[in-house]
Amino acid sequence: MSIRDDFPILNRKVNGESLVYLDNAATTQKPQIVITAMNDYYQNSNANVHRAVHTLAGEATEGYEACRNELKNWFNAGRVIITSGTTESINLVAHAWARANLVAGDAVILTEMEHHSDIVPWQLLAQDIGIELRFVSLNEDLTLDLDAFEASLVGAKLVACVHTSNVLGIRNPIEKIIEMSHANGAKVLLDSAQAVPHEKIDFKDLDADFLACSAHKMCGPTGIGCLLVKEDSFNQMQPFMGGGDMIQTVTISGSTYQENEHKFEAGTPRIAEGVGWAAALKWLSKIDLHSEHLRLLEIARWTAQQIKDIPGMTVFGRHADGDSAVVSFIHDSVHPEDMARLLDARGIAIRTGHHCAQPLMQRLGVEGTMRVSFYLYNNQAEAELLIETMKGIVERFS
Amino acid sequence: MTWPPALQEVIDEFSEIEDAMERLEVLMDFAEEVDELSEEEWSDENLVKGCQSRAHVVLEKRDNTIWMRAAADSKMVQGLMGILTIAVNGGTVEQVLELTPDFVLEMKVLNTLTPSRSNGFRTMFDMIQKTVKEMK
Repeated sequence: MSIRDDFPILNRKVNGESLVYLDNAATTQKPQIVITAMNDYYQNSNANVHRAVHTLAGEATEGYEACRNELKNWFNAGRVIITSGTTESINLVAHAWARANLVAGDAVILTEMEHHSDIVPWQLLAQDIGIELRFVSLNEDLTLDLDAFEASLVGAKLVACVHTSNVLGIRNPIEKIIEMSHANGAKVLLDSAQAVPHEKIDFKDLDADFLACSAHKMCGPTGIGCLLVKEDSFNQMQPFMGGGDMIQTVTISGSTYQENEHKFEAGTPRIAEGVGWAAALKWLSKIDLHSEHLRLLEIARWTAQQIKDIPGMTVFGRHADGDSAVVSFIHDSVHPEDMARLLDARGIAIRTGHHCAQPLMQRLGVEGTMRVSFYLYNNQAEAELLIETMKGIVERFS
Repeated sequence: MTWPPALQEVIDEFSEIEDAMERLEVLMDFAEEVDELSEEEWSDENLVKGCQSRAHVVLEKRDNTIWMRAAADSKMVQGLMGILTIAVNGGTVEQVLELTPDFVLEMKVLNTLTPSRSNGFRTMFDMIQKTVKEMK
């Protein structure tokens, strides 16, 4: 049995051709075990969690909380708040921690390679409470300018930084960033959406204050993610969204709140998705992520070199050790959208556009790029088919 | 839906093509049908906003009929503009407003009509009808 056999979607045809799915940085496909777990939950155990005493409610609660436990084990984390994904996790830090602990004039450090989900929440907060946003620039090779970063830290209270760029695949030196930030009294929030699928993270060992990620980029369902929080920061967070499940008591004169993670999980949570994510983590735990990462990075390096050899192509990113298996590129005459549609006609799925990172596009001097991103079920033969098909397209249409 | 005869001819042409890439190649050939705006005429006013590609459309009303000029940096988007030119040019305001965008689904050149960043066609189609409506 190969990894590919676990993914039923890989058997389908697109425009009469076998699917070659190379848009994994956007979302990954789901193994059968995740699909089965979610179906099984709805068929046999569906109920609301945490309150009722009947059997189904008990099973649903067990299933949902098993996800939190799996996450605690997976990340070696003490506090795991379950959210709708990385975006909500970052917004949660902005509303529940920053709003309660920052005042006008406090600086939040961002980088030029952030996803919009780690820019816009801070811009909204800046409008509201007058915090100062500082964007750290990139070096010529598109890595983070650590000198500029160090200079930006004076008076900073929070560093909100992408762990691995969704466009470039570049992994930031987060260990160094955490050390420098803490030395300057700033907390660190990592947007680890693109890193989590490719490296096993020990949250306690890493020593970040907050870490945000999504299930769907690591073979789990869409609509669920989490925020890992260090204990002292957790205790500084104030409730953000009010509603059921997050309270202890409610009277017409006021309410008291849960003490644990439920305090930040108002309303009926994503129960089926939690069951699905737990199944995905169990499935992933049987895979040697590190050796898979090295295999995928080799494919990305080969692909990047082959693309560079096609006349008119420019490739962004360096594909160094630790970077993710992502290749972003442009062609001087074939529009990214045209290339993506032509590849789709041959069953090959790639992503085009600004990848929700417009400031980075401005830095690169482009409006958008084409992007291929590899994951566990991809192989060298698929990369070769991509290159062969792209060469044909460039020859025919440029 | 009954389409204007010129548009029906285009739909029929596409229905004969089985290969998806050939279909897109034919779509790009329709870029030639566009009464092309020169790059100097590209402006923020005639930009189709929210498109992945840079697309510009200008509409004029002459003797109660609508005439379209356009250009895009994506050959496929300009191909779609070519088909829209066939659908729109010489039609009355009422005829243009009666059009629905699903002919591109019949032609199998697009797989969705949900307005989004990846679907400049829908944005462009809606912009054309909105502009034409204001010409009433």
